[in-house]
Amino acid sequence: MLFSSIPFLYYFLPVVLIAYYLVPGSVKNMVLLLASLVFYGWGEPIYVFLMAATIGLGYVFGILIEKFRDTSWAKVCMISSVIISLGLLGYFKYANFFLTNFSAATGISLPLLKVALPIGISFYTFQLVSYIIDVYWGKVAAQKNLISLATYITMFPQLIAGPIVRYSDVEKQLKHRSITFDKIAYGIRRFALGLGKKILIANVLGEFCAAFRAANEKSVVFYWMYAIAVSLQIYFDFSGYSDMAIGLGSVLGFKFIENFNYPFISKSATEFWRRWHMSLGTWFRDYVYIPLGGSRCSRPRHLLNVFLVWMLTGFWHGAEWTFIVWGLYFGILLIIEKTFLLKWLEKTKVLGHVYILVLVTFSFVLFDSAGLGDALSVVGSMLGVGSVPFMTEVTGYYVNSYLVMFIIAIVGSTPLPKMLVSKATQRPGVQKVIAVLEPVVMMAILVVATGYLVDGSFNPFLYFRF
Amino acid sequence: MKNRKENKIENKIENKNEKKKNVIYVCVVALLFFSLSVAAWLKPADEFSATERRVLDQFPGISWDGILSGRFMQQFEEYTLDQFPLRDTFRSIKAMTHLYLFGQSDNNDVYIADGYVSKLDYPLSEKALSKAVKKFRSIYDKYMAGTDVKVYHAVIPDKNFFLAEENGYPAYDYEKMFAYLQENLPDMAYIDITGLLSVEDFYYTDTHWRQECIVDVAKVLGDAMGVKLEAEYEAVTPDTPFYGVYYGQLALPIEPDSITYLEHEDFAECTIINHETSKEISMYDAGKAAGRDPYEMFLSGSLSVITIDNPNASTEKELVIFRDSFGSSLAPLLVEGYAKITILDARYLNEVMIGNFVEFDDQDVLFIHSTGVINNETAF
Repeated sequence: MLFSSIPFLYYFLPVVLIAYYLVPGSVKNMVLLLASLVFYGWGEPIYVFLMAATIGLGYVFGILIEKFRDTSWAKVCMISSVIISLGLLGYFKYANFFLTNFSAATGISLPLLKVALPIGISFYTFQLVSYIIDVYWGKVAAQKNLISLATYITMFPQLIAGPIVRYSDVEKQLKHRSITFDKIAYGIRRFALGLGKKILIANVLGEFCAAFRAANEKSVVFYWMYAIAVSLQIYFDFSGYSDMAIGLGSVLGFKFIENFNYPFISKSATEFWRRWHMSLGTWFRDYVYIPLGGSRCSRPRHLLNVFLVWMLTGFWHGAEWTFIVWGLYFGILLIIEKTFLLKWLEKTKVLGHVYILVLVTFSFVLFDSAGLGDALSVVGSMLGVGSVPFMTEVTGYYVNSYLVMFIIAIVGSTPLPKMLVSKATQRPGVQKVIAVLEPVVMMAILVVATGYLVDGSFNPFLYFRF
Repeated sequence: MKNRKENKIENKIENKNEKKKNVIYVCVVALLFFSLSVAAWLKPADEFSATERRVLDQFPGISWDGILSGRFMQQFEEYTLDQFPLRDTFRSIKAMTHLYLFGQSDNNDVYIADGYVSKLDYPLSEKALSKAVKKFRSIYDKYMAGTDVKVYHAVIPDKNFFLAEENGYPAYDYEKMFAYLQENLPDMAYIDITGLLSVEDFYYTDTHWRQECIVDVAKVLGDAMGVKLEAEYEAVTPDTPFYGVYYGQLALPIEPDSITYLEHEDFAECTIINHETSKEISMYDAGKAAGRDPYEMFLSGSLSVITIDNPNASTEKELVIFRDSFGSSLAPLLVEGYAKITILDARYLNEVMIGNFVEFDDQDVLFIHSTGVINNETAF
């Protein structure tokens, strides 16, 4: 089930919220767990059992690690649990990638597995792995209550698209959390903003990208507009989902970590990754990069660590070479920056912004491409290689049609709107106006987003029957 | 300067106000949210959407198989979208936001230009063109090659032909399409009707042309096929609004059209058979004029095989028309010149079945389709 869907918004969520608020605190985790299983089972009925088995193993291994603490068995349990969890992820997500590439490399034709990718498996596997490793490192105590652990792993607000919440961040909240009007109001704001980002901006930019792909009269300007649109679409889609997750968490009494912090205002790739998908970046830093030795080792080893981490970061996003190259692309940028560029970029802020915006835009072209050749072709056309005209009438139409949306998306990807509202609220007169306007705007977002969802069911091809 | 106590009191008041504000905020948003939710849960299901002209999805049957396969969930989602309370209002809100707030030039590819509602048809699909040509050639080779039939083809431009480029909307190269068809259908004489039409000949809210505006088109087609058409018609306009197909797709409150049909005394003496049911039908179905799609009043809409026998025809000639929906309003205007007209829709009639209805000998054969159908990859 998706947050941005009518069944979730108007059928599932209201029932869950009523049940959740009505039951006493001690039963809230149970309600949340059941709701999360329905939420997950709605899209993946069969894979509920896979997730349940993964959680069960994590639960048992967590307790065993604690039982055998300070013995070598603890390490065996930790490694076993991590291998099983990552093995399942590898089987469902990456097996066909390896089989395809093995066949291509050796000429031996191996049949592909008929397995579908379970939704959210990358997220909940990483959460479970972080829990197991944290228990092994003694950062957290093993959770003795299976329902509490299952609630943490399956919690529907963050189950399928993050943020990757660490067990240590919610350990206390799983036992006790307060639900206040302040938290609910904050949660509603974040959720409504996230819903608007997803449906009103990301989806509309997605329509632009679809129109670009369908058009047979492309131009250099059209290619650039597409590259910008796809970058903004991915940002608003993903950060919108994170906003909704954080908002829902707050409505339920939880506080989740932030996942995005205006990444497009960065001045370097280093800064970009401190602002983009922060929960994933910190996960790889804490559970892969630092355990591998981080930067406190020989230079060749350090370089190898960086390459490994960024290759894995790319690979985590999907079982395609484009994602691996996408990860390595950032790895190389980070090494170059660490070696000499970062110092220079810090001195020339404007150039830093231009530099990272251009490179990030190229990276998202790669991210969105069907293959490396496709990505190179798009980048080539952006740079005017070949016989692509600079501008066409069709480009003019789409630029004109989507201009307002581009402006909204570009301004919305910066802290400017937040700053303006924040400044305005400092004025006593304006403060009252904003107090009245804010719920109106949030309700308007809900209503318009509902309109967009409802209109999505429109079937425009039926008339050809006649 | 304020002392610490005063600051503390101020902060307390501020926090209290913030709390009060949040309580009101939560209550107001929750009221809207839960009202919509209750309405969604309790609203009885509608069967048909008049504006979208389609049957709406109903609550799906529940079975283990359906749940485990995910089919139930998918059908439930479609049901909730179709049955959402105030669905048309929400669609209008979306359309207004899309067009007027976000400044988009079209909504669901539908746009308004010069007061006419039209739908983007872009780009030109070479695959669709190729499929159409392949279909026409196949029918020709199977039934007409080596016979004495005279074969013609014509293309009906859609509203975009007149509106799109002029108003800055994407338009494909229509001349390229016409040239491709002429080049690849060398056994069919091309009749150019584009110069006879203008956007005024189309409905404001529908894709089709107005029957009262295409008498000259019928005459030119008749002339090209060697038949003189001189009949005078009586224009009849039923007192029911005509909400064209784009009305529902645009989802904005705009003025409806009115539909006019051309009546002739000879029509009552024609025998018109719908061969899908072998039952007689009338030239104009007044009941359908007030139905879900008033344009279906012309020869009862999308039927795959119809024959019209006219005992008062000016010639003994026979005409076979391969057509789309535009042909339904054109065919009555050709009746005068032909003792028998067979109207076929090659999209819905299996090619091998054509021989069951027509024995091709020395008829006139007219392939006439709109650009929208020719450029549609799934049409043929």
